[in-house]
Amino acid sequence: MPHPIRVFALALALAATPACAAFEAPRLENPVAAARSVDQRAYALLHAYGAIVEEARDVVADPESPLALKRALGQAERAATPAAETLQIAVVAYVRARSDFDAAAHADQSAIARAGAALTAATRHLGEALTAAERPVGELEALVQAARR
Amino acid sequence: MQQIIVQVQMLLVALSGLLPLVREEHRGRAGEILAFAGAVLKASGALAANASDLARKLTDVRAEVESMAESGRPVTAEEMEGAIARVRAASAAFRAALEIAEGAAP
Repeated sequence: MPHPIRVFALALALAATPACAAFEAPRLENPVAAARSVDQRAYALLHAYGAIVEEARDVVADPESPLALKRALGQAERAATPAAETLQIAVVAYVRARSDFDAAAHADQSAIARAGAALTAATRHLGEALTAAERPVGELEALVQAARR
Repeated sequence: MQQIIVQVQMLLVALSGLLPLVREEHRGRAGEILAFAGAVLKASGALAANASDLARKLTDVRAEVESMAESGRPVTAEEMEGAIARVRAASAAFRAALEIAEGAAP
């Protein structure tokens, strides 16, 4: 046997292959899919994004992670965070509009109509911000998932 | 996954114990190979731990949102503020960690 170490390494790799193939990464839940209203969707997406960025931070802080991966995560985070910030602004406006609408319940008809129109507009803006944030957040999540495989 | 990694790490430790049996001219190389395999396992172990941590966090968020959806309860302003604060803190920590990593890069 001219190369015993290579033969052993190959044998070990072959022996470990079925175990590696059988391994299944834990399935990641999609919290947004469980939501039924626009505010619940926004809440789910913000918390999910927070969790994804927390994990991305752990990958970046790990000295064993390749620098190219850290830079790719940085690029994805720079793309996703502005969308998340726009979503935050839309969420704050929506919560304020909903509160104003609730407060106008005992006011006159014109005040209720104004508050209703403002809430409709805030809901539409929140829906648009959600749609805009889903893609970059999904891209960062995919990168974090790929990093741990 | 963590269990498999621990078992392989133990196997590597056991193999390291057999290094004196390897011919002297190959011993250094064999040691390097075992050290490299150990480093790879350590990295994959850390990433696997992150994976299960992310899965747990997302499961927790989903359970909370499912509960809200089932009861038809709207998200309160305080809950929204909590979610926003989490994103801000995570984003700031991520950027700080990335800056340190870039600073340490050769």
